[in-house]
Amino acid sequence: MKSLSTYIKVSTLALGLFAFQACTDLSQHVYSVTPIQNFYQTPDQIAAGLAPAYQALTAIAGNPSNVFNLQEVSSDEIIVPTRGADWYDNAQWQQLWLHTWPTGHNVVNGAWGDIYNGIGKINFILSVVNSLPNKPATIGEINAELKVLRAYFYYLAMDLFGNVPLVTDFNTNPNTVTNSARKDIFNFIESEIKNNIDSLPTNVDASTYGRVTKWMAFALLAKIYLNAQVYTGTPRWADCIAACDSVINSGKYSLLPNYFDNFAVNNSTLVGSGNENIFVVPFDKTNIGGDNMEMATLHYQSDKTFGLSGSPWNGFSSTADYYAQFDTSSTYTTQGGEVLRTYKDQRTGQFLIGQQYAIPYNYPPSTYVDSADPSLALKDAQTGLPLKFSPYVLQLSNPADSFRLAGLRNIKYFPEAGTAGSQSNDVVLFRYADILLMKAECEVRLNTNLIDALNLINQIRERAYGNNSHDWTMVDLNLPNILAERARELAWEGYRRQDLIRFEVASGTPYFSGARTPGKAADPSDHHLYIYPIPAQQITANPNLKQNPGY
Amino acid sequence: MMHRSTLSRPWLAILFFLSLAQFAFAQTRTISGRVVDEQTGSPMAGVTVRVKEVAGVGTTTNAQGMYQLSVPAEAKTLIFSFVGYQNQEIPITSNQINVSLKPGEALQEVVVVGYGTQKAQDVSAAISSISNKDFNKGVITNPMQQIQGKVAGLVITQPGGDPNQNVIIRLRGQTSITGGQTPLIVVDGVPLDDPSQIANIPPGDIQSYDVLKDASATAIYGSRGANGVIIINTKKGRAGQTQVTYNGYVGLDWQAKYYDLLNADEWRAATKKLGNYQPSLDKGANTNWQKAITQTAFTHSHNLLISGGTDKFTYSAAGNYINQQGIVINSGKNEIGLRFNAQQKALDDKLTLNYGLLTTRTNRKYVDYSIFTYVFSTPPTYPVYNPDGSYFGYFDFEQQNPVAQQMLQLNRGTENLNIYSAGADYELLQGLKLGLLGSLSYFNKQTDFFQPTLPGVGNINNGAKYNENRNSKKGNIHIEYTHTWNNVHNFDFTGVYEYNDFTYDNFRAAGQQYLVEDNQDNALQNGNTAFNQISSYKEEYKLISFLGRITYNYKGKYYLDASFRRDGSSKFGVNNRWGNFPAVSAAWRISEEGFMRNLAWINDLKLKVGYGVTGNQDAITPYATQLLVGSIGRYYNPVNPAYAYPQSYAPTQNANPDLKWEERHGFNVGANFSLFKDRLGGDVNVFNDKTKNLLYYYTVPVPPFYVNTILANVGSLTNKGVEISLNGTIVKGNKFNWTANGQITFIKTRVTSLSGSYAGYKLSTNNIPGGYAEGRGLSSNPITYLKVGYSPYVFYLPHWEGVDANGNQLFDSAGVKIPNYGNATFRYIDPAPKFNYGLGSTLSYGNWNLNFFFRGVYGQKIFNNTLLDVEFIKRLPGNNVTKEALTNGIEDAAVASDHWLENASYLRLDYVSLSYSFKQVKGIGSLDVYLTANNVFVITPYRGLDPEIRNGDTNQAYIDANYGSDGYYPRTRSIVFGVNVSFK
Repeated sequence: MKSLSTYIKVSTLALGLFAFQACTDLSQHVYSVTPIQNFYQTPDQIAAGLAPAYQALTAIAGNPSNVFNLQEVSSDEIIVPTRGADWYDNAQWQQLWLHTWPTGHNVVNGAWGDIYNGIGKINFILSVVNSLPNKPATIGEINAELKVLRAYFYYLAMDLFGNVPLVTDFNTNPNTVTNSARKDIFNFIESEIKNNIDSLPTNVDASTYGRVTKWMAFALLAKIYLNAQVYTGTPRWADCIAACDSVINSGKYSLLPNYFDNFAVNNSTLVGSGNENIFVVPFDKTNIGGDNMEMATLHYQSDKTFGLSGSPWNGFSSTADYYAQFDTSSTYTTQGGEVLRTYKDQRTGQFLIGQQYAIPYNYPPSTYVDSADPSLALKDAQTGLPLKFSPYVLQLSNPADSFRLAGLRNIKYFPEAGTAGSQSNDVVLFRYADILLMKAECEVRLNTNLIDALNLINQIRERAYGNNSHDWTMVDLNLPNILAERARELAWEGYRRQDLIRFEVASGTPYFSGARTPGKAADPSDHHLYIYPIPAQQITANPNLKQNPGY
Repeated sequence: MMHRSTLSRPWLAILFFLSLAQFAFAQTRTISGRVVDEQTGSPMAGVTVRVKEVAGVGTTTNAQGMYQLSVPAEAKTLIFSFVGYQNQEIPITSNQINVSLKPGEALQEVVVVGYGTQKAQDVSAAISSISNKDFNKGVITNPMQQIQGKVAGLVITQPGGDPNQNVIIRLRGQTSITGGQTPLIVVDGVPLDDPSQIANIPPGDIQSYDVLKDASATAIYGSRGANGVIIINTKKGRAGQTQVTYNGYVGLDWQAKYYDLLNADEWRAATKKLGNYQPSLDKGANTNWQKAITQTAFTHSHNLLISGGTDKFTYSAAGNYINQQGIVINSGKNEIGLRFNAQQKALDDKLTLNYGLLTTRTNRKYVDYSIFTYVFSTPPTYPVYNPDGSYFGYFDFEQQNPVAQQMLQLNRGTENLNIYSAGADYELLQGLKLGLLGSLSYFNKQTDFFQPTLPGVGNINNGAKYNENRNSKKGNIHIEYTHTWNNVHNFDFTGVYEYNDFTYDNFRAAGQQYLVEDNQDNALQNGNTAFNQISSYKEEYKLISFLGRITYNYKGKYYLDASFRRDGSSKFGVNNRWGNFPAVSAAWRISEEGFMRNLAWINDLKLKVGYGVTGNQDAITPYATQLLVGSIGRYYNPVNPAYAYPQSYAPTQNANPDLKWEERHGFNVGANFSLFKDRLGGDVNVFNDKTKNLLYYYTVPVPPFYVNTILANVGSLTNKGVEISLNGTIVKGNKFNWTANGQITFIKTRVTSLSGSYAGYKLSTNNIPGGYAEGRGLSSNPITYLKVGYSPYVFYLPHWEGVDANGNQLFDSAGVKIPNYGNATFRYIDPAPKFNYGLGSTLSYGNWNLNFFFRGVYGQKIFNNTLLDVEFIKRLPGNNVTKEALTNGIEDAAVASDHWLENASYLRLDYVSLSYSFKQVKGIGSLDVYLTANNVFVITPYRGLDPEIRNGDTNQAYIDANYGSDGYYPRTRSIVFGVNVSFK
């Protein structure tokens, strides 16, 4: 009987437990992240919540980025040859050079992802910030800044892919997303900039460093007008000049005497008026990683030249045909046992050519070309060959030992000793020299203000040579020369493909689509390769997307 | 008290039964006798003696083993039972019945089915049980190796010889793509919070494994049962004399196979012939780098078990120590474990209390896997040491001294696993038990890392300390009711309410540039503050379940089991918090039918069929369903130089409030049989499982989605297979016995869909890159894919057609041989094995016992990525190559093609063990000594070190690479000498 009473008691208890709400309480703590409704509460949180819009730029500017590779490796400016097994990488580098990229090309899809990551983040932030119960006082400026930054991402999408989806509302139904025509994207970018430009900050100081300003917006406007003929079929040269003038007349920018200071490790100190860089993406070796250009281009043993803490990857190079545009005339000085070569056009010094030495490299670039101590002359450790960079890249793939040293290497973003990847140099997206070159080009194209154009070009050349003895005269002022000047000034800055296509569309000369050494045949005449395909992966994810013509 | 009215009815029923019992006592006679231990002959006190036919009639033996019992007239059988001994049923043929009880190997007879046990003969689901006498022998790194190859449907892979690498456990194939695929592992009724914690259970403590294979068995584990369930039972005490048992072994391991790399003279000859001999690379040494990083490793293991008790209290206490060197220098582990469990009976044996305690501490010395790359890249002409004994230092791309790196780096881990459990069961009425079980599990892991500035490398020294905790609180209330009506209707009901709370947290601190390297990672604050990194994380989730099971059989002939579980998990989306998991199975012991009884050669034949639904929630992180904001990287804020790099915050995932577990619908048909006087037994199962609502990170367009993938339940995959296991007694004699057992498993896995819709949006994905080829020039080179209609990680490769005169590799392009790989025709090649098998045999003669076990796989393919990288003459002179590289003619870039996808079928003699038993040793109970050889040989066409590699735990399945952080820790061959002693 005792057991029965126990049975009653325990059963009651058990049934009671089963009935209790507490038994089915599935609430859980969130510890390390925060539900969205708990964020965007303080000004600092709002600032940290806006930052991802810029954070997305690190994938665009952290070189060699996917966007950079599409802009450069498809042009004559950069080649990534297959050396032995190295850099074959599923043929992706060869395909870029040869213009034989498949629709599922890894870099093509990567670039799309990088660009739309930025657009997606900005759409989200716009949606969240504008629905805050207590909007920040600067909401107008915040919206303008975000929208112009989004226009920059759309400019990249338009430039590379042409007909891309235009999504500006975070809450868009995914089923409705489809491509817009390239000229519609152009119109969107243009109106977005114009509608917001007057709300943007005009001050150039620490608070706007690395951020969208009115002058960055004009530079962006100048870029889309410069290439408007490619994007829409209708040139907008005069509009480009007007946008450039807005930047020039602001008086906020000027050319720095030393070309390389713009790209130096400490270029983040170039804050305020009077500097050349208009829009940069900050990087830092410990806090903001992702820029590895030194690793991508330098040779395995170049760590000895620059005091790097790791062995680089021996990849990205320039060829002899491209290098032929540079002035290699030099002056030689002797320092102790070493002979130092300094180029008259300082910009030529961004390339490494010939024998490399285990002597700490000079900044700004001036190359040691001989040493009394032969042991300082570096060798390729794997083959024992003297580490001499040759401009001749005569094959796209060659297992010969000597081919490890083919191609010129670029040190525009001068490496910092003690690093190995993750450079601290801030990467420049827009700078004043380009504004001057754009304006001059448009004036030549319109055949107006040629004196002004000559003056603009000569500002660039005088800075490069340090004197006016290499100034152009009117005879020199023609479009092919301007294209070459852009190659010298803007080498490895991510503009070459765009420039070649623009000059090709305007003149009919096959700068971009023609045959080129090594190995590249002329493109098909339908010019479908002026834009990249919509990545196959994106069409799988969104079957509403239509492939670009010709693919 | 409000329940009184509802309780009145059972109350009446019980009165009715009691009155029946009262009636039965009308006529009686008295039986008496003595009960002794069959082995020792000593009298046994406290043995329960009861009448089978009449409930409630029974007594216990006294200190002399004597009993006396008055039984009613209809009593025909007496049942003698005692904890730890086999029950005996004796027909009442006289008034004096003496009995000798056999110490029970109870686990052979009883199968643990999850939240309860069943008699083996009554199981209608697909469950395999293996007890310790059938375990694999030799150096056991992970407890699961004890049953590797023994259970049909259970594929256990030890990927290489690393003592610190976990085994891969797959039950009935790959069940998921994103989710975990390791079965739920339950130790003495307590599920492990993470199945990898199995590595922390001392192998010597394990008595038996019960493997729940089909969904009708695993559905009782609901949303955690989809990958199957493995129940581990540790050794328990039993009443009687205290037993002290010691098991120990010592073993030697060495590397089983080497790649055929050039030695220094061959390197010199080859490079001179090629004309690229470099004196600067010839340091005059002749180093076999494969051997330089390895050693003959010594292992010793000790297990001491003390058990005993009375009929009221039994206990078992065990101490374990294992010290295992790795064959790679400066690697290995040691583990010390203590375990105690006890059972106390009280209140007229109605109350049973259980306690369990398991604590282990494992110290690990890890291998830095990047050293395997250096072994292949370093020329054989480099020495390991300078003449003064210091390490020879060198540095180039993917090249530095692997011995220096492995020896000079601190790379250790310490793991503590503590599981405490306590339970109480109370028998309210005969057949009705109510109980509670609670457990606490604490797992802590700490790792220490310090990389000094390595000779010749010039790296910045750096260190890190990492700590993680995975803890849980679990509790359940359970009720079981067992009853037999009219001696033919056997009925059992089990009901459980269960509550689980899991937390996980970690903390890491790291720094660089230390002045005093001797401090290692113990003074992390002293480095360059610019490099200091700290991070921490914590998460929690809850799982609440209600479950019930009914088993019924009629005369042990017809069986019907049904179970139902309702799970609520905080991981799931708000729209799917609760899920239901039903299962049903039936069996028919056809050998009990009249028409079968005449067939004398059939001893037992049971047909069974089952269906069940289980879930898999492993892929879902605790907060996957919510839109959460987290840090995504730093940004530059020059306005505030004192804090110039603050964190930026953004959502890190697309929220999916519809998220739920993957569902696995399993159907099983099978038969158990025992034939020819129990000389041949077997179990055959055919299964057809379908995983629905497959979790996968589907690619979605950004924008409007926030990030480019979303975890959603969209696709499906199937596993179909046949499992056959047989055991036979070939010779049964007085002195000579010969038994054999074997199993074979056929499994076919197919991805059947990767598309569907989420919230009205069509999600579709196909041909998703899975694994990548690795090596120089092999970046961004996917070679395996998830493709609808194929098995997961199917290879997609061009067909290799040889090499042309210029050393360019040729590939098939729609029937034409072309050198350019980009335009070649690609084809899908399924790497999955067609079947796995195991075959073991035991021969015993007198006190001698010879035991061996073969294990194999047929139809498997492995991508030999190591040879793709190394068998390439253009690596000379700066890197080493295989001898084959000198003649294979390949001179162009390394191209991933089917040339490197090799047949990796194999047959391995897993072990041979010879033992001798000293039956009666003075002062000792028994003494067994044995000598075992492991991995005696492997027959395989595969050219890599071993065909048993990672085949399912990562996207790199079936890819055998030694590059970057991926390496193959060489498999070992070993020899072991051991003793098992029982003291009295």
